[in-house]
Amino acid sequence: MARWALISGLRGDLEAYEAIQADLRHTRRVDTLFVLGDVIGPERECNALLERLQKPRRGELEPQCLYGWWEDQLLAERGHRGGRRADALRLSQGEAAVDALLQAVDPGHMGWLAALQFGFIELDCALLHGSSAAVDDSLGPDSSPLLLLDRLTRMDVNRLFTARSGQQFRVELSGGGVESQVRDLEGQRHHQQSVPQRQVIGIGAGVHYTLYDPGSDRLDFLSAGCKPKLRARGFA
Amino acid sequence: MAHAVISCLHANLAALEAVLADIDQQGIATITCLGDLVGYGLQPNEVVDLVRQRAIPTCQGCWDEDIIEGLNACDCSYPSQLAERRGHLAHQWTAEQLSEENKAFLASLPLSLRRDRLLFVHGSPNSQHEYLLPDMDAFAALERVESAGAETLFCGHTHRPYVRELRDGSIRVRVRQMPGEPGGVAEAEDTELRLPLRRIINAGSVGEPRHGNTQATYVIHDEDTGAVAIREVPYEVERTCSAIVDAGLPTIFAWRLRHGFEYAERADDASHVCER
Repeated sequence: MARWALISGLRGDLEAYEAIQADLRHTRRVDTLFVLGDVIGPERECNALLERLQKPRRGELEPQCLYGWWEDQLLAERGHRGGRRADALRLSQGEAAVDALLQAVDPGHMGWLAALQFGFIELDCALLHGSSAAVDDSLGPDSSPLLLLDRLTRMDVNRLFTARSGQQFRVELSGGGVESQVRDLEGQRHHQQSVPQRQVIGIGAGVHYTLYDPGSDRLDFLSAGCKPKLRARGFA
Repeated sequence: MAHAVISCLHANLAALEAVLADIDQQGIATITCLGDLVGYGLQPNEVVDLVRQRAIPTCQGCWDEDIIEGLNACDCSYPSQLAERRGHLAHQWTAEQLSEENKAFLASLPLSLRRDRLLFVHGSPNSQHEYLLPDMDAFAALERVESAGAETLFCGHTHRPYVRELRDGSIRVRVRQMPGEPGGVAEAEDTELRLPLRRIINAGSVGEPRHGNTQATYVIHDEDTGAVAIREVPYEVERTCSAIVDAGLPTIFAWRLRHGFEYAERADDASHVCER
């Protein structure tokens, strides 16, 4: 039976990645490891983690990686996004943060980073760093349900896994509807649309990660290095 | 107070003059234009001149943007490959015709205009290139209005006028969130969001109607009563079509005006947002 591990927000932290790999190796019976971006960041040198992601050890799960907000900023600053530069980072954290990010990643990794995708579609699930709207779209448990439904609708999926907020959460859209009335030159028509049963799931960041079983729809929010309370922390 | 909203003029001077005369005849002083002043038609300078002369508040359409920025939109700018090839021809012709002064005017146009809780855009609040089709997903349509902080959204771009009312909406959610500390227990909360009544009013097209009729379309909205009238205005279609053919532009542009219809102009994916 398929079981996914979803991680994000490592930001160069090789120790956190090793802790998650150890966790998965020993107890979790996971068959696919998804890394939903932000593997780099300005706080520390990221090359060791980047090399580790590109060259998994024998018998280890090969990570399926996306680009996140930090990769997008670096790619922009290095000229991989047309005329755009790391303006969002520059605006929010200043020039020093841009310089630190440039220093944190060896230019030799740019080819690998530039080849990363925006998102994956697996079964009826979208796996994204932000959302279907943008890589910097931060969805959380407090986001408007209307906005969450829009993000699901844009990709026509039933589950949207997101990492941007760094939080672990699940929002289930469980009911409701809206009445639509259209009038044009041909006449008038009514339509009642129901809210589809869909979910947005925040997978966490750093050592906080998520396991998902697409067969049973079971979800477990975990933290590497912590003694798990699977029964208490998971829900199907 | 009643005000008129026009869109998608597409360099069709005869149609614009007829629509403005119809608006004047009804004593309406406030007009808002949702862009696409140029493209497809033969008189881009004359149309821009008239809009400037009448000092009509105007937001920028996708054609206005493309003439200034160049054709760098993603594929969604044209809903089909056939439409894209024809559009490129019209783009090149228009860019050659348009005066520098009028190009500067188009470049100065805002992406949206707001008057109290009324929002005016060309395509959608997200992009000049996004189609808000009359039967698109109701929640996605509602999200476009609500996220923009509007009660009524005026748009164009589809060339088909309509009034859509979204009412009695609700979304029930169950939120389960992990507490900050490791090993904690998920907290669950059930809530229901009541969605307010919102409206989308599409002004259709003055210069290139595609609603199955050749007459120019626009809308009149009464701010006090909320009433919306979709107006159809006849103009000299045949003379306009002949001039397009004589000028050497693709004959399909004349065919489209003669029929008010275009198979190829259906957006493949209404939920797609331009990633320019």
